[in-house]
Amino acid sequence: MKKTIMLLVLMTTMVIITACGESGSSDEPLQVYTHNDSEEMDAMVENIEENTGVQLDVLRLSSGEGWSRIEAEAPEIGADMQIGMLHGFGMKAEEEGYLLPYESEQWEDVPDKFKQEDGEWYGTSFWYNMIAVNEEIIEDKGLDVPQSWEDLLDPQYEGEIALPDPGTSGTAFLIVSTIMQQMGEEEGWDYFEQLDKNVGQYTKSGSAPAQLVAQGEYAIGVSWDQAVLDYIDEGYPIKSVMPEEGVGYSLDVAWIFENTDQPEKAKEVMDYLGSQDFMELSAEYRSMVTKPGITDDSNVSDNFIDYDAQWDADNRDRIMEEWQNKFSN
Amino acid sequence: MTTETTRTTKSKKLVSEFRQFLSEPWFAILTTILAAAILLFIVIPVFAVFFKSFGIGSGGFTFEYYKEFFARSYYLNSLLNSLGAAIISTIVVVLLSVSISLYVTRSTSFLSKFYRGAALLPLVAPPFIFSLSLIILLGRNGVVTSLLNDAFGLEFSIYGFWGVVLAQILGYFPIGYMLVESTMRNMSPSLENASRDLGANQSKTLRKITLPLSQSGITKAGLLVFVMALADFSNPLIIGGGETFIAAEAYLLVVGQQNLEQAAVLGVFLIIPSLIVFIFQTYVMKDSGLETISGESGASNAPLTKRVKSVVMTINTLFVSFIVLMFIMVVLGAFVKIIGIDNSFTLEHFQSRNGWDSLYTSIIVSFLAAILAATIGMLQGYLFARKPIPGKKALEFLTLFGLAVPGTVMGIGYVLIFNGSPFFLTGTVLLIVLNMTFRKIGVGLEASISKMHQIDSSMEEASNDLGAGPYRTFGKVVVPLLSPAFIAGFVYTFMTAMVSISSVIFLIAPGTNLAAVHILNLAEQAQIGMASAMSFVLIVIVLSCMGLLKYIEKKTGVSI
Repeated sequence: MKKTIMLLVLMTTMVIITACGESGSSDEPLQVYTHNDSEEMDAMVENIEENTGVQLDVLRLSSGEGWSRIEAEAPEIGADMQIGMLHGFGMKAEEEGYLLPYESEQWEDVPDKFKQEDGEWYGTSFWYNMIAVNEEIIEDKGLDVPQSWEDLLDPQYEGEIALPDPGTSGTAFLIVSTIMQQMGEEEGWDYFEQLDKNVGQYTKSGSAPAQLVAQGEYAIGVSWDQAVLDYIDEGYPIKSVMPEEGVGYSLDVAWIFENTDQPEKAKEVMDYLGSQDFMELSAEYRSMVTKPGITDDSNVSDNFIDYDAQWDADNRDRIMEEWQNKFSN
Repeated sequence: MTTETTRTTKSKKLVSEFRQFLSEPWFAILTTILAAAILLFIVIPVFAVFFKSFGIGSGGFTFEYYKEFFARSYYLNSLLNSLGAAIISTIVVVLLSVSISLYVTRSTSFLSKFYRGAALLPLVAPPFIFSLSLIILLGRNGVVTSLLNDAFGLEFSIYGFWGVVLAQILGYFPIGYMLVESTMRNMSPSLENASRDLGANQSKTLRKITLPLSQSGITKAGLLVFVMALADFSNPLIIGGGETFIAAEAYLLVVGQQNLEQAAVLGVFLIIPSLIVFIFQTYVMKDSGLETISGESGASNAPLTKRVKSVVMTINTLFVSFIVLMFIMVVLGAFVKIIGIDNSFTLEHFQSRNGWDSLYTSIIVSFLAAILAATIGMLQGYLFARKPIPGKKALEFLTLFGLAVPGTVMGIGYVLIFNGSPFFLTGTVLLIVLNMTFRKIGVGLEASISKMHQIDSSMEEASNDLGAGPYRTFGKVVVPLLSPAFIAGFVYTFMTAMVSISSVIFLIAPGTNLAAVHILNLAEQAQIGMASAMSFVLIVIVLSCMGLLKYIEKKTGVSI
């Protein structure tokens, strides 16, 4: 028995020593933060590793969570790169000086509006809010299918709406920001106070409402395009609704952190993100990517409002503080 | 004059103690390192949370964050919700523990073994697993809910306070059950027999003899379950609906807003009840006297009579079936597309590289933590039981205190302490290992101390007299004797580390994600299928490790 214990202790010491030794070598995988859903990110990571030979270690955090982590860690941010984040946070990170500029040739044909001019961040795809409606529940309970943001306030939906929490979810912040930009702040707050009465559950992640509606837990869920469309493709009894007033959209961006100790690898990955191959893979999970000619976005963008991502970057802190004050009482 | 003498004798004693302490320099050095480690990894993080709640370290002393706490009914509500849920779960767990223990300790049938196994099953699963299966079963569109709805037009929702209570009862049941069962098993049957001989029927005997005798075990179980339920943050996140709970709120304050000060205030309110319970358990309960009656006679307890048995068995069967049903739901959920909606078989939920990576990390990390915790526990147990160490009592108290600190508080403390110089450890595997280790060393320590007290020191003296030095004696005599305590510490730490979440969730980084945290993240994305699949694999791994240990136990004859 004693020998076994000695052996175990010895093994432990060895493992610890090797673990510590590893962290200094250059073979360390690239550390990546993402806000993408696990399923999508798994496929992307596999593809990136195959095509670049760079190994990735990924941590998924929903947008709000990821951003507050980055802010807390700065200037020693705990990752080399971010793949998938809100446009507004990209702008904020750029202002704060968290990002490493890198001009990649692979991204040349992507329109300028989708990338930062010094190459601090690059937009891979964009996404927008979409409402998921469970047709079975709507029928069973004799509800109407909502057609607009305004309709969601109807008392008939009391307790039937799943909404993501803007404290953690980027999808949710896009909703908040859309309403505020459309209605103005004062009316916007009125809107959310009324909506709050109908909300059955606030979820931490922006994709969760779509899944909850697909499962039949709630009649209506406000989520984002691909999360909803995936379930429709899989044959769940749900349909998508684009609110009449229009929806906000956000660019999904990637960047390299200024404090990375593996800039070469990160740049290699960034190049690959702009390649035809990756954009095509991305298109399997997103309705629109930024590289021209891969996805057809002619008919969707009709529904977009004139969305201002800079407004996000400038006002998020203030809006969120007020949100906490109003809905955490 | 007399006080003077006592003081001199006291100080003389202290001096001689110190001299003795220093006479074996290696042990002295070890003890000092241990003490420093306990301070750094248990005590300082908790103090850091306390200081932070007053804004110290970020802008100077202030009551601002406490004012904020009391100004918002929201925070107060979360505290009340947590206390309420913890109290209800505790009462139910204790009642169920007594009921199942009564049957299991008085029967050797296959059914009794099965009940015992099923009752302990929740130990090997992440603590929030029942929230997942409760949603599958009783969610707004759950399997049972739909049936009830179709049959009676009955509609209800499991999300909210009662969902959390139910999930906590299921999740924390084994902790309470283990303690109650071991007390009842060790109880001497002679008193019960006497009571029966004197004419009391069995239910009267149970009420007047058995339960009072098990009181200390039951109280201890209740206190432990209470502390764990209070600190529970994962169930509220998944099944809490709109209700707020204090540990979950503290977590969201950290990850969502980086409002560490406010989170620290919540942490303080979380730790106060735990501290009270811990002190009560350590000092008030120690000398209840009743627990000293232990079963030496070898006779076994009288089997239950028909009447008592029928009551107990009804409760037990219902509860155990419920647990088993919950696990079946997880297994089913892992292998079908979306359970209850699309029940076609699939393996796609298992194809997650991130998931497998996190499982791998969990195994490595838990293994290291278990080895460290068991080794430290054994060493500390020996030193504390045999060596004169200044401040021994305080150190022992602090070590055991590590077990009582709510994980959320410990996690926030680690974030505060190790995110800057002089100990920059954030994002490293090492920090996660240390966190898991020092939260659990109390178990190995307790096991070692009680083992040391059972062993007479004559063996060590003999070894000494025969010329072996103190270190050789430790290696050749003490370590082999303590191996059961080592194994106990190892098994407990490994099992709990594999499924632990509340503390380590603050410490993960890319590449060091852990299985339980990954599963919670999947649950937050409402990916029930993937979450079930990963839980299933996690449960299988922990169970196989337990099986392996049982096998080693059989082969080597060391009892575990």
